[in-house]
Amino acid sequence: GIVPSSVVLTSFQVMSRVFLIWAVTHSVKEVQNEDSVLLFVVAWTVTEIIRYSFYTFSLLNHLPYLIKWARYTLFIVLYPMGVSGELLTIYAALPFVRQAGLYSISLPNKYNFSFDYHAFLILVMIFYIPLFPQLYFHMIYQRRKVLSHTDEHRKFE
Amino acid sequence: MVAREASQGLALGLISLPGPAPPKAAKKPKKAVLFFEVEILDAKTREKLCFLDKVEPHATIAEIKNLFTKTHPQWYPARQSLRLDPKGKSLKDEDVLQKLPVGTTATLYFRDLGAQISWVTVFLTEYAGPLFIYLLFYFRVPFIYGHKYDFTSSRHTVVHLACICHSFHYIKRLLETLFVHRFSHGTMPLRNIFKNCTYYWGFAAWMAYYINHPLYTPPTYGAQQVKLALAIFVTCQLGNFSIHMALRNLRPAGSKTRKIPFPTKNPFTWLFLLVSCPNYTYEVGSWIGFTIMTQCLPVALFSLVGFTQMTIWAKGKHRSYLKEFRDYPPLRSPIIPFLL
Repeated sequence: GIVPSSVVLTSFQVMSRVFLIWAVTHSVKEVQNEDSVLLFVVAWTVTEIIRYSFYTFSLLNHLPYLIKWARYTLFIVLYPMGVSGELLTIYAALPFVRQAGLYSISLPNKYNFSFDYHAFLILVMIFYIPLFPQLYFHMIYQRRKVLSHTDEHRKFE
Repeated sequence: MVAREASQGLALGLISLPGPAPPKAAKKPKKAVLFFEVEILDAKTREKLCFLDKVEPHATIAEIKNLFTKTHPQWYPARQSLRLDPKGKSLKDEDVLQKLPVGTTATLYFRDLGAQISWVTVFLTEYAGPLFIYLLFYFRVPFIYGHKYDFTSSRHTVVHLACICHSFHYIKRLLETLFVHRFSHGTMPLRNIFKNCTYYWGFAAWMAYYINHPLYTPPTYGAQQVKLALAIFVTCQLGNFSIHMALRNLRPAGSKTRKIPFPTKNPFTWLFLLVSCPNYTYEVGSWIGFTIMTQCLPVALFSLVGFTQMTIWAKGKHRSYLKEFRDYPPLRSPIIPFLL
């Protein structure tokens, strides 16, 4: 309601971040010292500082070009950085999940259900393959639209 | 699972153009027939795609679609959406040209609906899948469970019963698709078949895997639970079928009339007193029965997802009934009496 972002894409991003923090990093203590964790935390932090500044200034109708530029340019580096950190963290967590049988249920049980968290994590990693390019190229497309628009306006100032 | 409502079937063949009846007398007709001209523009680019002159004033949109196909054979009628306004609603096939708010030169805007596939084809495919897939698991075909279980049979009666129920359910659906339902629309977008089949086939495999698993655990309350579940299942299957028949009988073959459904002599149809879409109510009931019978969480999840979708459809149907009929019975809820 307050900013014009897509609800679907944003909730997707929020869910994936919550998942990384709670379901992976917090749950598997052994990965908490990995460099990959630092990688995605830094990427997310920088992205969010820029993104929220962007929204705030936009709402105040006083958006410095630098912020707009940063939001639509730095993602080119930050996004792959974040994704790499996420994937490496999940990958690092795998052996520990398997060993501990974390969040997994096996047969037989009275609800006739099973869940293999290890396999699930691998599936999540696979899903990055179609999803990441889509989101990335969406941002590239947005960048072209937004930044060229500004150029046109500036020409007539 | 879903029994979408049966409405008038659209003949899938092309409608032939009726020519004007030749006058019996040799006299020349005194009134000249005023022909219409129809130009068809692309809704997005406004490019002129087709110009039809000498169109009968009583020609229907369906007939115009056929004429349009002649000049653009790749856009068969089912794929065409013709409208008076580029952003407006699609005109119906039955709409008559002279009854539309157009001058003698009508401008219609065309939008390509994309590749279409018939409802019957989609239904048959999406229902045949679960029937076949479940049996693969039931017979423990190799590579599903460990090799020592290949082609073995479960020692639990309920597993055999579940197979019969599941198979019966999908056979019933296939037969209804072929012989009972009267579809309002002939076709739907092609991508739906992939979406729908993934849903039905995926869930069928997931459920069947657990029910037919060598380590399957039968219901906690044993034979009592299974008997109760079976009773619910059978009752709801009969109910669902009764509603499908009642809906079929609302509409004569070949027409697209819409009427308010009412209870008939069949007690299963008395649910119409309380609910707009009792077919969905019974469908949910069947799957609840199957869940209790198998005591299997994936089945419960499948029932839940199906219930959610059917509730959305029921609410939509209920809303269109209310919009169309002033005297629609106020006691009725969309899917669950008094609640939803």
